[in-house]
Amino acid sequence: MFRKRYRQQIPELNTTSTADISFMLLIFFLVTSSMDTEKGLMRQMAPPPLEHETPKDINRNNVMQVKLDAQNQLSCDGKPVTLQQLAAEVRTLAMVNRTGHVVQIEADAKTTYEAYFSMQDAIVGAYHTLREEYAHKHYGCSYETCNAEQREMINDYYPQRISEGTIAQEGGAQ
Amino acid sequence: MRPMRSKFSQSRRTVPSLNVASMPDLIFTVLFFFMIVTHMRSDEVKVRLQVPQGSEVQKLANKQAVVNIYIGHKGEAWHVQLNNDIVQPGDIPARIEEIRSGLSQENQQRLTVSLRVDKKAPMGLVSEVKRQLQQAYALKINYSATEIKK
Repeated sequence: MFRKRYRQQIPELNTTSTADISFMLLIFFLVTSSMDTEKGLMRQMAPPPLEHETPKDINRNNVMQVKLDAQNQLSCDGKPVTLQQLAAEVRTLAMVNRTGHVVQIEADAKTTYEAYFSMQDAIVGAYHTLREEYAHKHYGCSYETCNAEQREMINDYYPQRISEGTIAQEGGAQ
Repeated sequence: MRPMRSKFSQSRRTVPSLNVASMPDLIFTVLFFFMIVTHMRSDEVKVRLQVPQGSEVQKLANKQAVVNIYIGHKGEAWHVQLNNDIVQPGDIPARIEEIRSGLSQENQQRLTVSLRVDKKAPMGLVSEVKRQLQQAYALKINYSATEIKK
């Protein structure tokens, strides 16, 4: 008789607020995390120069001097150029003398970083178009869709030979 | 008349309540999605900066072996921030060495320095930082930028 009374159904747990709690967690994560994938221009620097190292001889004709002055004016072998012209110059140089050329970059201490970056971007872009052409001609696909081995081949065929010279310290008050 | 009345009584039923039992599950799914695709903001940027734009940018892979260097202005002066604190350029090699010792063997080789430099920063300071990185043998650098399509 009493037993019958105890055989009630177990009351259900009220889970209405679980949604609210998980919403709060979600919003917390949205606020504290960042979704931006970091992108940038990858460069490999040369190791620090050793004292006993002798500078390598290189033919003056194979060197292209790219300079940025304090007014952010870009010049290539002494002539003022635009970014497009610079890219075209680098392209012809790298095409004519693939493994022997050197692009030497020099920037004044007062140059803004933006000018320097767009110069680097233009030079890398010039190499990229060359590699893209090569990939299309030999593998029939764009550089991005080539496999790692093919990419290595292309990179060896058109190596990036960029040398960053010392930065001219001009008008220093020190 | 009778069928009419029955129709009336039928329409007087209460609206059935919506079953929201699966709502937490849905939200949890969204939450897990966000937890996976995003990464926590690790350091607080103490300098003001705006990175330049470029068209040849690549994605930065391997987040564990990345050291962030921020160069930006705070008030009038230019400052260099490494990961979480503002440093002098001369202190960079020691800091890099410290970070490198805490990394695994593979990551030590993959160590990349992400340079987030303001557009207007003078190259004198940037090259000084780069020279210090060279001294520390942190040779892989990444000039952080936003992408623009050609």
